[in-house]
Amino acid sequence: MASIQKNISSSYTMRKSKSQNFFSRHIGRVILYLLLIFGAALALLPFYWMISTSLMTLGETINRKWLPAVPQLVNYVNAWKEADFAKYFINSVIITFTTIAGIMTTSTLAGYAFGRIKFFGRDVLFAILLSTMMIPESITLLPNLMLIRGNIFPLPGGSWMNTLQGLTVPFMANAFSIFLLRQFFSQIPSELWDAARIDGSGHFRFLLQIVLPISKAPLMTVLLFAFTGSWNAFAWPLLVTTRNTWRPIMVGLWTFVSEAGPETHLLMAGAVISLLPILVVYFITQKQFTEGIATTGLKG
Amino acid sequence: MTATSLKTSSGKYSSKRRMLKENLTAYLFIFPAFLVIGVFGLFPIGYSIYMSLYQWRVRQGDFIGLKNYSDILGDGTGLLIFLLGFGLLILAYFLWNSAFKNGSMLAKSGKLIAAIILISAGIVISLGWKQMIAGGDEDFLNSMIVTVFYALGSVPLQLALALILAYILFQNIRGKELFRMIFFLPYVTPVVTTAVVFRIIFSPRETSLANILIGKLGIEPLKWLFEPKTVTELLFGLKDLNGLLSGPSLALITIILFGVWTFVGYNTVIFLAGLGGISKEIYEAAEIDGANSWDLFRYVTVPLLSPITFYLFLISFIGTFKAFNHIYVMKVPNAQKTVVTASVHIFQKFYTENNFSAAATEAIILFLIILGLTFAQNKILGERVFYG
Repeated sequence: MASIQKNISSSYTMRKSKSQNFFSRHIGRVILYLLLIFGAALALLPFYWMISTSLMTLGETINRKWLPAVPQLVNYVNAWKEADFAKYFINSVIITFTTIAGIMTTSTLAGYAFGRIKFFGRDVLFAILLSTMMIPESITLLPNLMLIRGNIFPLPGGSWMNTLQGLTVPFMANAFSIFLLRQFFSQIPSELWDAARIDGSGHFRFLLQIVLPISKAPLMTVLLFAFTGSWNAFAWPLLVTTRNTWRPIMVGLWTFVSEAGPETHLLMAGAVISLLPILVVYFITQKQFTEGIATTGLKG
Repeated sequence: MTATSLKTSSGKYSSKRRMLKENLTAYLFIFPAFLVIGVFGLFPIGYSIYMSLYQWRVRQGDFIGLKNYSDILGDGTGLLIFLLGFGLLILAYFLWNSAFKNGSMLAKSGKLIAAIILISAGIVISLGWKQMIAGGDEDFLNSMIVTVFYALGSVPLQLALALILAYILFQNIRGKELFRMIFFLPYVTPVVTTAVVFRIIFSPRETSLANILIGKLGIEPLKWLFEPKTVTELLFGLKDLNGLLSGPSLALITIILFGVWTFVGYNTVIFLAGLGGISKEIYEAAEIDGANSWDLFRYVTVPLLSPITFYLFLISFIGTFKAFNHIYVMKVPNAQKTVVTASVHIFQKFYTENNFSAAATEAIILFLIILGLTFAQNKILGERVFYG
C-alpha cells in the first residue's frame, strides 16, 4: 500500500518535472556527473602519478612524461631487494599481526566484562577508559620513549628499543576497540547467557563459544581498524627503531626519501609496495570497511 | 521441610560467592587492557606533568616549579588578557544567540552590543597575544598560529566539498558505489605513503605534476612545499605583515591541500550516512509545496544535517591539532617554521633538541587546548541539535 503511494507520488513529481523543464533537468544531470568525474579524477591523480612514475626510467622521471615508454617492472625488483623494502615489508607484517592479536585479545575480554558482567566500579572504570580517547600522541610519545628505553623503571629484558615488543606492546589495547565491542556485546539477549549458565558454562566459555561466533561484524571492524592503525603507524616506530632490524615499512619509506635523492622511480615503487596490503584489504572488505567507519563515526 | 529452605540458603550462599566470582572474572578480563592503557596511555600524562616541573634535558635536573610554563607562555599577564578576550568572545556568542530568540527591538540592540563586544574581544586577544610573545617562547606560540591556519584552511573547505559530493551521490546516480569507493581511497591509503607522493607531486622542479598543471594555466612554476613566503607576499608583495594577518605560507597551503584531499572522502561517507537518515517524506512534502532542488538542499538538507556537520567540524578541528605524520613527512627545511605545527614543534623539541622539559610542558598545553575543544564539542553538540 505504502509502496504504491510512493510510486504514485514519485511518478507524479517525475511527470511534472519532465513536462516543465526537461532540458534543464538533463543539463543538471550532466553537470552532476561532470562534477563527480572531475572529483574522482582529482582523487585518483596522485595514484596515477605514483604508479606511472614507479614504472619509469630515471631519465623519464626527469624529462617528465605522462607514461613510461616501456614499463620498468625492474624498479620494483630493485626497491624490493636493494632498497631493503623486502625487510621493511616483512617487519611490518610481523608487527601488524602481533599488534592485532594483542588488540583482539584485550578488547574482546574487556569489552565482554564491560558489556555483560556487573562488577564493582564498572562505570567509573569505563569513564576513565573513554577519557583516554582524547589523549593526543604528542603527550605520550616522550614518556613512552623513556619507558621503552628503561629510563623510568627497569623492563623485563632490558631496553625495548629496536625490539618487537617495543613496537607492539604499547598499542595492544585501546579504548575505541573496547567501546565498540562493548556496545555490541551488551545487546546480546540475556536468554543466551541464562541458557549457557544452566548448561554449566562460565563467562570465558560463553564468550568463546557463543558470543564471538555471533559478533563477526564488530570483530571485523575492530580488526580492520587495528590493521590500518598498525600498518600506518609512523611517529612511534620512527622513535623506537634506530637500526633497521625491526624498522617497519612506513619508516623505511621515510628514510628512503632522504637517501633516494633523485631516484624518484624507486621511491614511488616503494610507495606502491607500502600501500598494497591496505588496498587489497580495502577492496576485499570494501562494504564492511566503509560502513564500519560510517557507523562508528556517527556514534563518536 | 527442608528441601526448599536448604535450597534457598544454599542459593543465598552461592549467590554471594557468585558475586565475588563475577567481580574477580571481570577484573581478570579487563586487567590486560588496563595494564597496557594504564602504562602507555595514562602514566605518560602524569609523568609529563612531573617532567614539566623540572629542568630536564635528557637527564633530570633541578626542580624549577612553573618556570617552564612561564618560559613558554610569558609571565601570565599576557595569558590572562588573552583568556579574557576569549571570554568576551563567548559572551558575544551567547548575546548574539539570545538576540535571535528574543523580539525584534531587543534583537537589534542585542546584536549591536554583541558586535561591539566581538570587536573588543578581538583587540583584547591580540593585545594579550603580543604580551605573550614578548615574554614567552615565540617559536611555540607561532606554531600555534600555524596550527590554527592549518585547521581553518582545511576543515571548512573539506566539509563544504564533502557535503556537495555527498548530496550529489545521494541523488539517483549511476555508479554511486564506484564513486564512493574512489573518494574514500585517499583516506584509506597510508598517510605516510600519500604524503611522500605529494612531496614528489609538489616538488619545486619544473617537471613536477603541480607545476605542469599550473603551467597549462599559464602560471610560472612555483616552489610549493619549499616556499616559506606567504600567499599575500607572493601575490601582492606585502612583506611586513606578521602574525595572523600575513596568512599561511605556500608550503602550508600545499599541506592544507593534502589534508583536504585526504579527508574529503571520510566526511563524504559520514554525510552520506546522515543523508540516509533523513526521511523521504520531508522531501516529498517540500516538493509538493513547490520547492526546487536548491530549496530542498538549502532548507531541508542543510538544517537536518547540522548536527552531523557540527560533529564533523569539531572532530576535524581537534584532528588538525593532533595531526603529525603527514606534516612531518611533507616538511622540508626550506619552508622554515611556516609549516611547523604545534605537534611537530613538540616532537622536534625532544627528538632533535633533547629539551625534554620544554617538550613535556608544551605537550601539556596542547593537551589542555584539545581538552577544551572536546569540552566545547560536547557542550555545543548538546545544545545545538537542530531538528527542522
